Amino acid sequence: MVVNITDKLMEDLERQELEAPNGNAPAYVYQQLLAIYLYQNDLCNAKYLWKRIPPTIKASTPELANIWAVGQSMWTRDFPAIYKALNSVTWSETVSEIMRQVQEVVRSRAVDLISQAYSSISLDTVSAMTGLPPEVCVPSCLEKGWKFDADTKMVHPVRQVVQHLGQTSSEDQLSKLTDFVSFLEN
Amino acid sequence: MASALEQFVNTVRTSSSHGNFRELCEFISKSSEVLIKQSQHLDNVLETLDIQHHSLGILAVLCAKFNVQVASNATDNRFTQAQDFILNCNGEQIRFAPDTFAELCHSLTNYLVEQKQPLKGIVLLQKAISKLRLFDSQLTSIHADLCQLCLLAKCFKPAIELLNIDITGICQELAQNPNGPQFDSKYFLLYYYYGGMIYLAVRNLDRALYFFEVAITTPSLAVSHIMLEAFKKYILVSLLLHGKIRPIPKYASQVVTRFIKPLSQPYHDLAVAFNSNSTSLLNAVVNKHSEAYTRDHNMGLVKQVSSVLYKKNIQRLTKTFLTLSLSDVASRVGLSSPAEAESHILQMIEKQQIFATINQKDGMVVFRDEPEKYSGPEVLKGLEEQLALCMELDRQILAMDEEIQVNPQYVKKATGLQDEEQPKSTYAM
Amino acid sequence: MAQVRQQNAVEPMQVDAPPEDNDNNEEDNYIVENPTLDLEVYANSYVGLAKLYRLIYIIDHCPSLKLEALKMAISYAMTTFNVNLYQVLHQKLAEITTAVNVPDVAASTCQDIPTIDNSWMESKSKRAALKLEKLDNDLKNYKSNSIKESIRRGHDDLGDHYLDCGDLSNALKCYSRARDYCTSGKHVVNMCLNVIKVSVYLQNWSHVLSYVSKAESTPDFSETQSKDSNQVILTKLKCAAGLAELATKKYKSAAKHFLQANLDHCDFPELLSPNNVAMYGGLCALATFDRHDLQKNVIFSSSFKLFLELEPQLRDIIFKFYESKYASCLKLLDEIKDNLLLDMYIAPHVNTLYTQIRNRALIQYFSPYLSADMHKMALAFNRTVPALEDELMQLILDGQIQARIDSHNKILFAKDVDQRSTTFEKSLLMGKEYQRRTRMLILRAAVLKNKIHVKSPQRDSSQTGEITVVPF
Repeated sequence: MVVNITDKLMEDLERQELEAPNGNAPAYVYQQLLAIYLYQNDLCNAKYLWKRIPPTIKASTPELANIWAVGQSMWTRDFPAIYKALNSVTWSETVSEIMRQVQEVVRSRAVDLISQAYSSISLDTVSAMTGLPPEVCVPSCLEKGWKFDADTKMVHPVRQVVQHLGQTSSEDQLSKLTDFVSFLEN
Repeated sequence: MASALEQFVNTVRTSSSHGNFRELCEFISKSSEVLIKQSQHLDNVLETLDIQHHSLGILAVLCAKFNVQVASNATDNRFTQAQDFILNCNGEQIRFAPDTFAELCHSLTNYLVEQKQPLKGIVLLQKAISKLRLFDSQLTSIHADLCQLCLLAKCFKPAIELLNIDITGICQELAQNPNGPQFDSKYFLLYYYYGGMIYLAVRNLDRALYFFEVAITTPSLAVSHIMLEAFKKYILVSLLLHGKIRPIPKYASQVVTRFIKPLSQPYHDLAVAFNSNSTSLLNAVVNKHSEAYTRDHNMGLVKQVSSVLYKKNIQRLTKTFLTLSLSDVASRVGLSSPAEAESHILQMIEKQQIFATINQKDGMVVFRDEPEKYSGPEVLKGLEEQLALCMELDRQILAMDEEIQVNPQYVKKATGLQDEEQPKSTYAM
Repeated sequence: MAQVRQQNAVEPMQVDAPPEDNDNNEEDNYIVENPTLDLEVYANSYVGLAKLYRLIYIIDHCPSLKLEALKMAISYAMTTFNVNLYQVLHQKLAEITTAVNVPDVAASTCQDIPTIDNSWMESKSKRAALKLEKLDNDLKNYKSNSIKESIRRGHDDLGDHYLDCGDLSNALKCYSRARDYCTSGKHVVNMCLNVIKVSVYLQNWSHVLSYVSKAESTPDFSETQSKDSNQVILTKLKCAAGLAELATKKYKSAAKHFLQANLDHCDFPELLSPNNVAMYGGLCALATFDRHDLQKNVIFSSSFKLFLELEPQLRDIIFKFYESKYASCLKLLDEIKDNLLLDMYIAPHVNTLYTQIRNRALIQYFSPYLSADMHKMALAFNRTVPALEDELMQLILDGQIQARIDSHNKILFAKDVDQRSTTFEKSLLMGKEYQRRTRMLILRAAVLKNKIHVKSPQRDSSQTGEITVVPF
């Protein structure tokens, strides 16, 4: 499970930052932590982390600025700029895996949003929001069951029904219900 | 070495070994002057004391050290000493002198603020708090220090952990106070003010509002600047969250309505303009008072308020319209272009603030009702969680009630009243 | 004039200042261009201060009737002892005759413009003083003989005289003092009516209402309601109460009071005319009653029907409204608006009442439909479609119409409220609020237990420096 790893990793990194002598942790701590915040779409914490990274480290590790460029675009919800910032640099070993996942979650959020918010949307907008060229977009849209009107260049998304997961046992529910009733009666 | 210091060391040692901590505290509170006078020898004193066994003595020495200017040529070892002490001291002992321990933490905080290294103290103060408090939901004055450091360091997660615990008790730090043990209201206010600002920084408006509300309802006989600033922010957050000023609880002190309200006129003007739903009116007020807002460091929030007005107006549209063209949305809400309207709507859909579908082909928006019809297991789960929380709170209240019922003072007072009344009724019979 | 007088006169018995004062001032500054009012007939419906005040209201708001109204007011003032008002009226007259040098107006009416008669003023003042002295002496005599009935009459006579001089506060004092010498229910009611009358002039509406209920609860009066003289009094009381409710914007209860008036016994020229009762009652009812009440209490009311005959335009308006012919109803309303704006009691409320009537019409129009074509609706209400859309939007936001607008197809759809989900929403919200409050309560208990409170101002100044940390 990727998410679990990053959660634990994040806590480790956060601790390392706080316990660093003189307040300067190794650069990789900041790089990974910043990337992880982006992955979690936790832009607030990303912004404040960027603000508190010591200037010397920012200067010696230019990649930090590249990571934050992605964050800035996410902050302004400028999808084309996000993909541009993600793909215009070659990420170092330290963050390449996380940044790849950042791109994935950004794209899947965009797809979800399109299906939630649009009944019809131009192919160009779809392409801009997913960062995929139109010729790739069309088949993947069709694959999702969305309709594509080649004449008007319009995509007609289908709203997804959010899957409900997890069903508590009826016994459990019954015991909780008993709790409520006994609470109300007393 | 002066005999006063020797006497200090001896008293600390004997009292500690006999476990006479209460007397030791009294002795220590009187000896701070002596320690400050002999500041050049304090490091020697520290060497003669054991961090675990003589925690109170070391505490007094460290406090004294923070009270003295460090000579420019001497090395400043105060931080490492304080760090060592906080991590390794004996919790039971320092709880005999909570005021001195808190004072050390305040000094340490000030030191780090001056050194511009707030990040270094965060872990330390977390530890200090856990040593001083008796239970997790007890407030100490160090809480405010931690929040201050977190704010300055722009590192909020450690503070949030602390802030998320609802306070149910307060550490009685000023034990020597003639009117009984007390807690300095300044640190109380600071904690809730800083806490509100931290929640604001991480966009948890609900909690921020709660914290500011606590700050402005603190019992008060005078206008506190902290309360005044909290009041201003309370108005702004209230607008962001509820679109109007939430009524201030009746139990708030009179100073709030009598003095603080008139002092926050620019913010009331803003609220009135916001209520009119007119962006132009709101902008006029913002321009008129921009100096005041900037001076109060509230301009950022004010700008958020004015952008929220667009959202509020779009939400109003969803209540009245089934369909509307994007250009109509733009003109009704006061946005410059349909594209801008589309991006606002898109944002609100993502945050589930409205339920709508955009039709790019016709440039129309269809507003829908909330699809969540309160069915399905997750609704039940949510309900269960909420109910459990309510029940837990109710239990707490009941426990508090019981505590009062058996409180000797309460019983005395309650029965005392009856004593006066009862004789008459018995005679009458 | 009335305003100034009122402020001076108000003090002795008034507890709370009339709240509508400010609104009046705000709405006072308008001018009515084209009234269709027959001033002569209008003025003849009233006597005493009612006539003078109403004329002054017209003088202040209608340039075209100003001169005529002034002449009437002056000649009427000369029949009273009200020298002050006479002077004020002449001042107003001087303003227009000197300021407006329109030759043709001046030439044609020059000869009958009254000039200020100083000798009249002097002799009138003297006579007033003499009469006052006489009445005062009489009262003293009655008092020394302690004949209750005579003392009561003495007070009343003195009150009448003060009223005639325009001294409202003293009139009110005298009328109220008569109270201690009332020996029968009839006297009490009479005293109440006097106080009510003066209180209306003073626009002290809470006073009016309390004396109305005092009169109505007087035993003799409530027992013998069937008698004719009592009918007259009852109508007077209902009219005064209606007026007070109208002035305090309680339109629905105003309507209910006016509807209980009886035309055959409606004789109250010191306050209002039967036409006023019809207009005030009719408009308030239209603005606040639902369809059923309107039918039962207005249209089929045998007593109010007679009032409506006095104001045929209003009758048409109400019937058109009831027949759902909104366009013509609203058109007729617009036609009578100018005249209403010259009526001192209803003028401040005309706009509010009109909006309410309009809204009621919109709501009623839509009530039977699941969906309605807004083009047709706009036609029925004399509005453009966008203007109608705005109006409907406001009504929906206020929760007065449960509907949503399909702006694309210009159709209004009724919206059924999902009780289940709103209940869920409400209860979840309530739960959250409970949690919040309880948390605050527990914390507050701890705060009070620890006696935390901000004390000395000295500490505050030291705190200033500590708030400089701001993350934004």
